[in-house]
Amino acid sequence: MKALVVDDSRVMRMLLSQMLKEVGFSDVAQAQHGREGLTHLTGNPDVQLALVDWNMPEMSGIEMVEAVRKESSLNATKLMMVTTESELSQVERALTLGANEYVMKPFTKDVITDKLRLLGFNL
Amino acid sequence: MDTNPEIIKEFLIDCYENLDRLDSELVALEQDPGNASRLASAFRTAHTIKGAAGFLAFGKLEKITHVGENLLSKMRDGKLVLNQDVTNGLLRMIDAVREIAEYVEAHGCEPSTDYGAVVTLLRTLDEETSAPPPAQAEATPAVDAPVAVAAPPTPVPAPVAVAQVAEVPPLDHLFVADPADAGRSDADSPNNKKQAVSDTALRVDVDLLDKLMTLVGELVLARNQILQLTSEQADSGLASATQRLNLVTSDLQEGVMKTRMQPIGNIWSKFPRVVRDVATQCGKQVRIEMEGKETDLDKTIIEAIKDPLTHIVRNAVDHGVEDPAIRTQRGKAAEGVLRLRAFHEGGQINIEIADDGAGIDPEKIRATAVRRGVITQEQAARMSDHEAIRLVFAPGFSTAETVTNISGRGVGMDVVKTNIEKIGGQVDIQSRVGEGTTLKIKIPLTLAIIPALIITSADGARYAIPQVNLLELVRLEAEAAASAIERIKGAQFYRLRGNLLPLVHLHRALELQSYQGEGDHAINIVVLKADNRQFGLVVDRINDTEEIVVKPLGKQLKGVSVFAGATIMGDGTVALILDVLGLAQRSSVLGESRTRNQADQALETAGADTAKQTLLLFRAGSHERLAIPLSQVARLEEFPAEMVERSGGLDVVQYRNDILPLVAMWGDRSDRTGTSRQAIVFDHKDAHVALVVDQIIDIVNETVVVQKKLARRGVLGSAVIQQKVTELVDVSEVLAAADRQMTGQAA
Repeated sequence: MKALVVDDSRVMRMLLSQMLKEVGFSDVAQAQHGREGLTHLTGNPDVQLALVDWNMPEMSGIEMVEAVRKESSLNATKLMMVTTESELSQVERALTLGANEYVMKPFTKDVITDKLRLLGFNL
Repeated sequence: MDTNPEIIKEFLIDCYENLDRLDSELVALEQDPGNASRLASAFRTAHTIKGAAGFLAFGKLEKITHVGENLLSKMRDGKLVLNQDVTNGLLRMIDAVREIAEYVEAHGCEPSTDYGAVVTLLRTLDEETSAPPPAQAEATPAVDAPVAVAAPPTPVPAPVAVAQVAEVPPLDHLFVADPADAGRSDADSPNNKKQAVSDTALRVDVDLLDKLMTLVGELVLARNQILQLTSEQADSGLASATQRLNLVTSDLQEGVMKTRMQPIGNIWSKFPRVVRDVATQCGKQVRIEMEGKETDLDKTIIEAIKDPLTHIVRNAVDHGVEDPAIRTQRGKAAEGVLRLRAFHEGGQINIEIADDGAGIDPEKIRATAVRRGVITQEQAARMSDHEAIRLVFAPGFSTAETVTNISGRGVGMDVVKTNIEKIGGQVDIQSRVGEGTTLKIKIPLTLAIIPALIITSADGARYAIPQVNLLELVRLEAEAAASAIERIKGAQFYRLRGNLLPLVHLHRALELQSYQGEGDHAINIVVLKADNRQFGLVVDRINDTEEIVVKPLGKQLKGVSVFAGATIMGDGTVALILDVLGLAQRSSVLGESRTRNQADQALETAGADTAKQTLLLFRAGSHERLAIPLSQVARLEEFPAEMVERSGGLDVVQYRNDILPLVAMWGDRSDRTGTSRQAIVFDHKDAHVALVVDQIIDIVNETVVVQKKLARRGVLGSAVIQQKVTELVDVSEVLAAADRQMTGQAA
């Protein structure tokens, strides 16, 4: 199973990648902003999950969600927003634009496992 | 989830970088509180720290950054305007975070310190300045809009952690590489998918780079050996292969050196905050300007100059720039400007720190230096203004009338100078009263491989002298040597273009045995510069200049100040690298400007009887007015009565680990039970002799015409000085009298 972590903080990317690997993703790539994430997804349609941060330079998370959803080839890719309480009010907007799920940080492995199961991942 | 120590390390590196950036952003925002992209960037920085801290279960960090983030988010949304209180609060947050991060780095966990005060302070600021309580900050539907549009934060690279090594500017471009390009390479290499898209740049352990540098050093040595061997061979194939090896090695050396380079901006980025803090504390207004942030320096050097530079910057704000009121009064802008400039020149890095403050008054410096006993009155009078200003580098010298808690930290400019010289750099100061002060620092690009002059000492051993210390080479043929070298009181001087150059014989300084007698063969003088003074090093042979790889000396030899390190020569033998400053100090050609000046003057006075002389006027015994050429005086002393001891019918004092005889040439009228005895001290036969006087009257600069009529004991003759008849002392007779007394004592 392949996943992508999109976050501008290197530490967050490392943390999230480690977590995803621990819950069962064999191949986790990283991107440091929305545009890079989008490029990676278009080049790798077999990536099943992308964890997307909110505030990033170049292209924000919400812009990335919008852009990914315009690509029909990426219909199957699950997008999960990684958010903080200060962005909660916008989660609805992200979901409307095509994000599949959100998770509020900091979160534990259990929380994300539950959410991923809801999305249909067999963990 | 188990936290990988690697991640914590990354987090800390990131954290420090983010804090530095936040520091500069806040200071910049203070000038321009409405700058939306800066606000967004500052917010994002705090947000980043908070996010990761939460995952790593650093509760205190998370809490502190959380309240800070709230404040920043309000400012970003225009609900709160940055003022000094808010800035101070946020800076305190940064300090707290830095403190915690440092603790985590050292102990692996958060400290037990209570940071409640900072949190409360930030909360209060938040509540005070905005109607809705912080919990409702989330009710801001349009939050992402300005953020999303916000371009990458200022010129600073995206918060993509870049470790010490990877901070070289071009990396930003790599990171933010053309997305199309990144996509293509990914598609082209399906096996490579695991590779993160952003990983076009690597972080490399500094230790590994150090090791690479050492290996390159070894390679350079091997190359030098091969070059030397093939120069004796005629095989053209071998010659061209060697040539290639030579070129590749040079390129490799340059490449590896580049990996160790960091822009000086890395340390400068802290200065806006330093300047702001110091300025606020002293009630001053100072703006900092930087030019040449991107100038690259070797990592070791960057680290070595960090503290000295910080000290200079603090000093400039604290002592250099005047209070706004005074500035306005003097017709300057209330806000002072501190200008930092860095640039490459002549294979060295130049750093200038200039303020437009009050400048340094050479007269004040002279007065302070004399008062503190750093120099004598006479030396002060002889000094040029520039030399006087340079006295701020003298050990224990501080010109601030009040020692503040900002600069008065026990670190003087002498430490700054020592630290810069330790890495082969030089520091100079220029100042104009009322216009400001500029400190100029020159440092080598790297410490690992340096150009050097190879010389041979009298015993045949080779030594390397760093090129930075080298001024010129002089060769004197045997006859010339005999006449051009002057001997003054056991020391040798060579008159180079009119200036007396003290000579140091390498084999003597190193206490090596000399094979040949001196004077009957040609002399090679290497003119060197140390501590802004020149001296000549007499060596047996000058070999060549060469790029040498500096190897540190073993622990056992660390204490030997005349050697800076060792290197391996082309033929495989080891040569020691001379520490020019240490050598000069050991041979006492430095810091003893008296020796030089005195010798200089002795020659001058001998040559021109009627020329102007500086004379010391005093009264002694039955003589009301006596004069001695100041050049012959080593120093003036005043000995408290209890210091004077009686030994073998002679008055003596213990003086500089020696016994100093007090000669009373014309009887002694001073009250023996009095408080103190004034004395003029002369250098005599590697020791000192003191002439007891009643009173020092004056120091004058006059043209003296000696009339030899009135000659009496110990007196050369008399002259009219300051319209009064004054007797000139025959110093040689004073010294002879001392000798007689001493031998009389011995007998």
